[in-house]
Amino acid sequence: MALSRKTPIERIEYAIIVSTLLLLVVVTVQPIVNLLAVSLSAPGKVPGMSGLAILPDGLSFEVWSVLLQHPNVQRGIINSIFITGVSTLIGVVGTALMAWGLSRPNLPGRKALFILVLVTIVFEPGIIPDYFVNKRLGLLDSYWSVILFKAVNAWYLIILIRFFEEIPKELLEAAELDGANPFQVFWHLVLPLAKPALATISLFYLVFHWNEFFRAMIYLNDQGKWPLQVVLRQFVIDGDKIAIVGADSANNNTGAGQLNLRALKAGMILLTIAPILAIYPLILKFFTKGTMSGALKG
Amino acid sequence: MTDRQHVLTSSNVGNVPINATRRKAGRVSAFADGWRRWWPYYVMMAPGILFFLVFHYLPIWETRIAFEQVRIVPPNVWVGLKHFQVLFSSSVFWQVLANTLIISTMKMVFFLPVPIVVALLLNEVRGGSLRKFIQSAIYLPHFLSWVVIAGVFIAALSPADGAVNNLLGMAGIAPRSFMTDTGAIRWVLVFTEIWRSAGWDSLLYLAAIIAIDQQLYDAAEVDGANRWQKIWHVTLPGIIPTIATLFILNAGMFLNADLNQVINLSNDVVRSKIDIVDTYVYRIGLQTGEYSLATAAGLFKAVLGTMMIVVAHFISKRLTGKGVW
Repeated sequence: MALSRKTPIERIEYAIIVSTLLLLVVVTVQPIVNLLAVSLSAPGKVPGMSGLAILPDGLSFEVWSVLLQHPNVQRGIINSIFITGVSTLIGVVGTALMAWGLSRPNLPGRKALFILVLVTIVFEPGIIPDYFVNKRLGLLDSYWSVILFKAVNAWYLIILIRFFEEIPKELLEAAELDGANPFQVFWHLVLPLAKPALATISLFYLVFHWNEFFRAMIYLNDQGKWPLQVVLRQFVIDGDKIAIVGADSANNNTGAGQLNLRALKAGMILLTIAPILAIYPLILKFFTKGTMSGALKG
Repeated sequence: MTDRQHVLTSSNVGNVPINATRRKAGRVSAFADGWRRWWPYYVMMAPGILFFLVFHYLPIWETRIAFEQVRIVPPNVWVGLKHFQVLFSSSVFWQVLANTLIISTMKMVFFLPVPIVVALLLNEVRGGSLRKFIQSAIYLPHFLSWVVIAGVFIAALSPADGAVNNLLGMAGIAPRSFMTDTGAIRWVLVFTEIWRSAGWDSLLYLAAIIAIDQQLYDAAEVDGANRWQKIWHVTLPGIIPTIATLFILNAGMFLNADLNQVINLSNDVVRSKIDIVDTYVYRIGLQTGEYSLATAAGLFKAVLGTMMIVVAHFISKRLTGKGVW
């Protein structure tokens, strides 16, 4: 900003503004850091630990090793990676292909297709009809019922269309004059130019599918197919210790059964958000841009 | 756009006859020509279109079971509005509808101002890296699922060892079990919503603030305006369109009190206070198996919701030039 002499009052004002925001940071981050501290504390120290603690009391990786060796958790990790990976791939490819057509201003039937998409944004018939469609297609208890949920997201489609529309017309026309067909133009010209936009919607899909749990909860009866979010729900919300450590050790208080449920829950929550944290720098980079330039809500 | 078209037409004045004949000749087999040129696009769009038809339009067709009696042995029997009559005479339905409206209203009143204030404060932070640090922290919860957030808050609100009650304890206040407190649970919904999205939503306002003409601030400075006067007379007026748009759009989504949030923060003790239309549909439909009644409730909400979104869209478009799409 312009050069300005700072009066003492202005300095105090500024200090208040910054401390308010830093307080917000603490309120946002502390609950998560506390979970980390609890999950890493020595098992004996966990019961008395304050919710305000940000450092572990003693140090133990037992919670993490129990969790990572637990068959349900291991399967959850594999399922989540599989579901998220496949649905993101399908989503990005399907969305890009559809956006390419819809970004051409002279495409016959363009308006009708736009309406087709917009209707799905404003009218959502709810979960029961959706359930029956999946049932009719024989997708219940299949990974596909979850993978195909919002496989092509109408909002992300619109973001990508807007981006494709900004590719200079001259470039596309030049390629067409050179005899390139629409497939070639798409592959050799549009996709390379759209890399940032594609990265953005890939991340949108990645985060969306990683966090999705409701469809998995209602469509997947087979526990072996549950993604991490549903496994997490089973023992954080439903608080089922037996599901985590197994009936034997829970009842006899042996092995993992000796671990504190609070610490196990904390570890499980962190395990579920670990991938999000891992890609968070990328999320910050692309989501902020995508949200500021694209649709109103991400 | 219009300028460019204007330039093109005026420079093409001499060619008009040629263009016209070419166009006329093309019209004979316009469809075939169009298809010859555009089929590759339709091939590429086919998977997407198919997806929308199967997973968005088939469900719309399936809503007909709201008007049918579902039979174990098909076909179902058409019963008209019978399920809607049952629904509208059910006190539970009115209770969940009231809950939905109450929760949405509370969120609207207490949530909406928060991101605006956060954006205004963030805009005052001068150090680029300090600002980035704050932003990185407060955006994070937006990317966490409600299962995770529920887990975080069940821990943070725990009566014995949760951060909130530990803090209250320091102030000498007796611990309270917020998650099982019928008087507190709606506030838990409001607060977790703020925790999750206020930071992220501030980005939308911040984008609007950054777009404000710097000269307005310089002029205000020359006039001797202090920090608060600049916020009040320059920044706030500058983001009023964004505030209006987001307010209207939120109003359009009024019936969506967030299924994922409620389902994860709910429990038997507080259910009656936060049971919303969506959780009601889920419970009576998929858990009790009253498919038709549940579909009727869902359809009622969908139709009402659509009307609200469409109205919100046009109001927003009219007032601010920005709509839902």
